[in-house]
Amino acid sequence: MDKFWVVFKNEYAQVVKKKSFIVGIFLTPALMAAFSLLPAYFAKKSASVAENLVIIDQSQAGVGEQFDNALKQYRLEDGETPHYVVDTLIELIKDDTASFKRVTDSLKMALNNDEIKYIMIFKPDIEMADSNMLLISNSEGLRTVTKFEKEISKIASTLRLVKSDINLSVDSVLSLTRRASLPQEDAKGESVGFETKWFASMMFVMVIFFIIIGYGQVIMRSVIEEKSSRIMEVLVSSVTPFQLMLGKVLGLGGATLTQLFIWLVLGAIVYMGSGAMALTIDPGVTHVVFNPVVLVFFCLFMIFGYIMYSTLFALIGSIVNSDKEAQNFIFPVTMFLILPFMIGISIIQEPNSNMARYLSLIPFFTPTLMMMRIIFIAPSASHYSLFSGILGEAALSFILLLIATALVIWLSSRIFRVGILMYGKRPTLAEIIKWVRY
Amino acid sequence: MYLVLENIRKAYDGKVAVENLSLSVPKGVLFGIIGPNGAGKTTTIRMIMNIIAPDNGRIVFDGVQADQSFLNRIGYLPEERGLYKKMTLREVILYMAELKGCKPSEAKGRILPWLQRMGLEKYVDKKVEELSKGMQQKLQFITTIFHEPDIIILDELFSGLDPLNVELIKGVLLEQKRAGKTVLFSTHVMEQAEKLCDYICMISHGKKVLDGKIADVKAQFGRNAIQVEIEGDGSFIKSIPGVAAVTDFNNYLELRLGGNASPQAIMRQIIEKVGVRRFELVEPSLYDIFIDMAKIDPSELAMRKGAANG
Repeated sequence: MDKFWVVFKNEYAQVVKKKSFIVGIFLTPALMAAFSLLPAYFAKKSASVAENLVIIDQSQAGVGEQFDNALKQYRLEDGETPHYVVDTLIELIKDDTASFKRVTDSLKMALNNDEIKYIMIFKPDIEMADSNMLLISNSEGLRTVTKFEKEISKIASTLRLVKSDINLSVDSVLSLTRRASLPQEDAKGESVGFETKWFASMMFVMVIFFIIIGYGQVIMRSVIEEKSSRIMEVLVSSVTPFQLMLGKVLGLGGATLTQLFIWLVLGAIVYMGSGAMALTIDPGVTHVVFNPVVLVFFCLFMIFGYIMYSTLFALIGSIVNSDKEAQNFIFPVTMFLILPFMIGISIIQEPNSNMARYLSLIPFFTPTLMMMRIIFIAPSASHYSLFSGILGEAALSFILLLIATALVIWLSSRIFRVGILMYGKRPTLAEIIKWVRY
Repeated sequence: MYLVLENIRKAYDGKVAVENLSLSVPKGVLFGIIGPNGAGKTTTIRMIMNIIAPDNGRIVFDGVQADQSFLNRIGYLPEERGLYKKMTLREVILYMAELKGCKPSEAKGRILPWLQRMGLEKYVDKKVEELSKGMQQKLQFITTIFHEPDIIILDELFSGLDPLNVELIKGVLLEQKRAGKTVLFSTHVMEQAEKLCDYICMISHGKKVLDGKIADVKAQFGRNAIQVEIEGDGSFIKSIPGVAAVTDFNNYLELRLGGNASPQAIMRQIIEKVGVRRFELVEPSLYDIFIDMAKIDPSELAMRKGAANG
């Protein structure tokens, strides 16, 4: 076992001493801040963007004007969404198809030239059929469509009420049928917004992703180097392949933890020393991040996810002869890490759906997907049990991750000890399976 | 016997690399495994090193079946060499020594003397990539014996070294031998083995052809060879009756004699045609013995010998 520590110590020292390690400590958080914090910062600090629209109104019932008035309320809203400026309100007679065509054509031109953003067309009788109106745009945002729909619904309802013989004032009907908006808070009486959780989960998942990908490849390269320079033969005449593999994986893991620790300290200093972080991170994020449950599972998933994946990277290094050959093998491994980003949206929309549950129990996804689910569910829980609820699932997923890590280490060490001494031709899958049994 | 190989066999994908090889290496000798490239030398050494497992047979080291626990007592220099390019010489030596179980506190003080001996002390804190190939080889030789192993195994040690460095390393090896260490090395250069070894084992096509004390091996073949240095064209010599074979070593010729040929008669015939600078009745060289025993194409060996000397 002491040989393991020799390898461990050397790998650790070789990484920590490098200039790139020091640079990475400062550069990575800077880049991550740039990528994830700045857009949010700009959105918050910059003035609301004005978006121009033109309304073509053929309704002859003042629909265009009502819509114009309705949009005015958004001008004063928060800076996150654009506000709308009605550039022109064009009223046309229903049957004037010639001028309608001329006007829409020229407006479409303006649309393509980015002079205006939306063309809103109201034909007669919008209250009768939705097909009597049309929004033309090259880049409509989801929120904009939702807002437009909400306002137009009101206008159309009003029109329908006026036509009907219900003996009530329009205003009272509207207030009677008003849509409810559901206030939310968690069991502790705190309300943490969806976006805050989304932001926090992305932060954690990105850290896990970058560390695993980054350091995994460092391990892979170092195995390839030892193989191609034939140091490997001397190494295996001194240590067992198992000690070597584990020493490399954990030695670099130690360097990773050092890096994380430094980040944590730096973060705390910046956070306490100035309000700089507070400008960009809203207090909700710190509330989510500094939840002990979240932090404990983050550490567990981070460490064991790292060990599992970097052992796989060491395995890849042992069966190939060059970085170039390794690319084919890296792809499926990175797929496991990238997939959560792709299906992450549906996970966070329903963190308790069956799909989310089952996928997050698969050890390869656990570090990322279960982490997301914990962030979305755990901070709201008022009491914790390790045998039920999200913590029960997290604990189960952690046990599965442990088992999978042990299996990956066992399997990799079987292949590793043969692979590191094989030169030349890349082995086929059948050969690799033979090595496992050998 | 210090190191014993009993009937070891190794085949790769049906191709036999080593067949039924048995060897006994006494303690405190220089032992050479010789044979052309592809004969199975490296495979044999790798099996001794426990890097690959033999299909059959066993390897006994100091009276016990060899396993991982002997690794610290062995120093191994593989044929194809490399070192961590980005580490300094000091770091490399220390790391390799620690991997062999040396205490860093004890090892640190011995680094500089070794580097001085090999003429590398200037580079102690330079990166390995700054060294020339020959220097890297010397550095690797240091890492092989730094931990004072009981047995030193060197695969094709001398290839790529200039004569000065060959002498330097030979000196170290003799010193190790006198200190009671066992040195086992492989080479395809027969002359080196002949000059340096106490014992040899010849391998050809994975099989042992011959082994034993070098003097005994040669004695088996008697003094039935003549080395002659001549002035002029010696192409007629091979047609002299009684001369079984002629090997041209460029500076001199080596003639092997047939059954009961008379060296005197042959000498007379040569002197009649060309001037003779030296005429000596000798034991056959390992090279000749090898060709005799292995029945391999001499041109193949000669070519390699030439390459290695040049």
